[in-house]
Amino acid sequence: MSLSRTHPSWVPYFFIAPFLIIFSVFMVYPLLNSISLSAFQSYGPQFSTFVGLDNFKNVFQDPDFWTAVKNTLIYSCASVMIQLPLALGLAMLLNRPDVKAKGFFRLIFFSPALVGLVFVAILFGLLLGARDGLVNETLRHVIPGFPAEFFWLQRYVMPALILASLWIYVGFNMVYFLAALQSINRDQIEAAMIDGANALQRFVHVILPAIKPVAGFVVLLSIIGSLQLFELPFILLGGAGPENRGLTLVMYLYQNGFEQNDLGYASAIGWILAIFLMGIAIVHRRLTREEL
Amino acid sequence: MLPHSLSPGSFTILTLAVVSSFFIFLRDDPQEEGLEFWMFAKNHYVMYQEEFEKAKDPKVNGDLIAYGAMERRLLSGVLSDTPVPDLVEVQLTMASRFFSGPIEAVGFTDLRPLLEAEGLDKRINPASFSPWTREGRIFGLPHDMHPVMLGYRADIVEAAGIDVNEIETWEDFVRILTPLMRDFDGDGTLDRYLLDLWETDYFGIEMLLLQAGGWYFDRTGAPAMNSDINIKVLATMVHWTTGPSRIGVNVPRFDAEGNRMRLEGGVIFQFMPDWYAGVMQQDVPGLAGKMKMMPLPAWEPGGRRTSCTGGTMLSIPRRAAKPEAAWEFAKKLYLGTEVAEKLYQQAMIVSPVIDNWDEDFYDEPIPYYSGQPVGRLYLELAPEIPQRVPSAFMVMAQQSMINAFIRTRRNAREAGVHEVEDVLDLARAELDAAQTLIENKMRRNTFLNPMEEQP
Repeated sequence: MSLSRTHPSWVPYFFIAPFLIIFSVFMVYPLLNSISLSAFQSYGPQFSTFVGLDNFKNVFQDPDFWTAVKNTLIYSCASVMIQLPLALGLAMLLNRPDVKAKGFFRLIFFSPALVGLVFVAILFGLLLGARDGLVNETLRHVIPGFPAEFFWLQRYVMPALILASLWIYVGFNMVYFLAALQSINRDQIEAAMIDGANALQRFVHVILPAIKPVAGFVVLLSIIGSLQLFELPFILLGGAGPENRGLTLVMYLYQNGFEQNDLGYASAIGWILAIFLMGIAIVHRRLTREEL
Repeated sequence: MLPHSLSPGSFTILTLAVVSSFFIFLRDDPQEEGLEFWMFAKNHYVMYQEEFEKAKDPKVNGDLIAYGAMERRLLSGVLSDTPVPDLVEVQLTMASRFFSGPIEAVGFTDLRPLLEAEGLDKRINPASFSPWTREGRIFGLPHDMHPVMLGYRADIVEAAGIDVNEIETWEDFVRILTPLMRDFDGDGTLDRYLLDLWETDYFGIEMLLLQAGGWYFDRTGAPAMNSDINIKVLATMVHWTTGPSRIGVNVPRFDAEGNRMRLEGGVIFQFMPDWYAGVMQQDVPGLAGKMKMMPLPAWEPGGRRTSCTGGTMLSIPRRAAKPEAAWEFAKKLYLGTEVAEKLYQQAMIVSPVIDNWDEDFYDEPIPYYSGQPVGRLYLELAPEIPQRVPSAFMVMAQQSMINAFIRTRRNAREAGVHEVEDVLDLARAELDAAQTLIENKMRRNTFLNPMEEQP
């Protein structure tokens, strides 16, 4: 029995209408409106002045923007270069047949992802406190003469952010890799072993090609997530941090849009970020298409 | 027809959607009678309860709202015509958000005509209006003045036989008190410092700038980051936090680590605005009877002995439903003696209303501060409180000053210099860069006219 015989033709449209209305009102309209908004200097919706492309020009001339770009790119590179290999390594360890209590370890490694970035930021703030932080207390006991005050969150802003994000995201990405590893046919690996392939050769020629689609997806997610970094430095440093060393692109957008109330300028920043993200997605798609 | 053409599941979803929509549209938001009063400070909310209960015609509904939430709601109300209260308490940083648009977009009523008509502008300490004044319009009734003194560990200072009355200038302060700094464990690092001053703490930085006559902006509202006064103060702060001349230490406020340092004598002198004198009593009760207050040492003999920081105003949003009633209640609340007394006794905040300064409660000895009449000491300094020029770019300027401090201090360390004269050029270079940054950001804002003279 076909659908058209049981329901009038308008029924499907009627049921998807709520989604379409909400999506149009809260996504499509603001998105389109932000294009025109980016050509205005605004103070709320009632006061605006047409500035043409000046917002974009000013963004590129603002040293804070380039600081934000630099910080965001460093963080993103670290996310991909450190976080993902660690996540893959953990997944491979847990995928070994001789490892006991896999479920327990999976839960332990994944659990930081359950608590959220705000909690992680507060936790690392306590860990890295200048005098009474757990890290400094420990170092003072272990290293004689370690200074009574050591400002981790002033001197090592980016390493602190990367470390905090490692703690939360390594386990999260590990789950993706583990799922991919578990889907590899054991026969392929055993065949490679019979052919004399060592561990490295098995990893490069059997495991890596098999998990490549998942790895590509995780890389894309990590890059996009990293470029949207906001809550972690905002809570951990109480803003952009000393010398703007924790200023990210989204924080720069927030400062201008919601602290200076200039939504036009913030729209321009948002579109620059969006175009950058689209570029990455296109490159990723091209690369994965070539693989297919 | 409809039920027959739909499956039971679809019919149920549709019914639920229609019924719930019906109830949502029928639901009427309860409109409370009387004045709506928003505030973010819990101690204010508690203090005002009695006044709220007394108010009958109209009655007053006080709403305690978290700082960030209130800021967003108020901005939405001002910018997008969502509901606003009749009265709202606005803190200094929050107020700067409302000043970044054109003057006609500031969502608060200009109180200057009312203040002048009723002679109230003469009854309130003039400096207290300055943070709430833009282009000659006064957008709020000042809640406070926040004069600053130095709070110190009297037990330590007096045990060393030092009389703080001999200290008139910062130079005296350093010369007379430096011997009190200590390295208790002999590890080569000092464990006791003189002053709570650090490069990341805008609290001390701002108080020193204002005391010296500097600020981020000049009287016209134009950036003045690299003024000669600011350069000198920055170079001095670097001198006080670097190398062998270091007297400053990072002592966070509202923080267990900082309070432990205070209690253990890791710092002897602290910048103490009146509100923080109240906070200390609650947060560090272990120092009761060990603390005393003294005026800030001046930058030069005969100079200003106080400063100020923070502040709150009571505003009437322009779209308030009952502005006249709100103004009457605002006067009753802020100008009366009863709330001023509570404000002092519960939070140690002294009133900006000059009529209240003669009240006896300000003369009561405070046991926590070794029996000193702290209120009277603050009030004696009130006429010296510096004026502050408000700006939408204040937060940005604060951050730029902190960054200039960090860089100057690092450059001084790397160059192996720490004397004020040697640091001046380094400070000037960083403040020149900060000036350019703020100028460029302000130039971008077509709504502001920084060249208009403030009254």
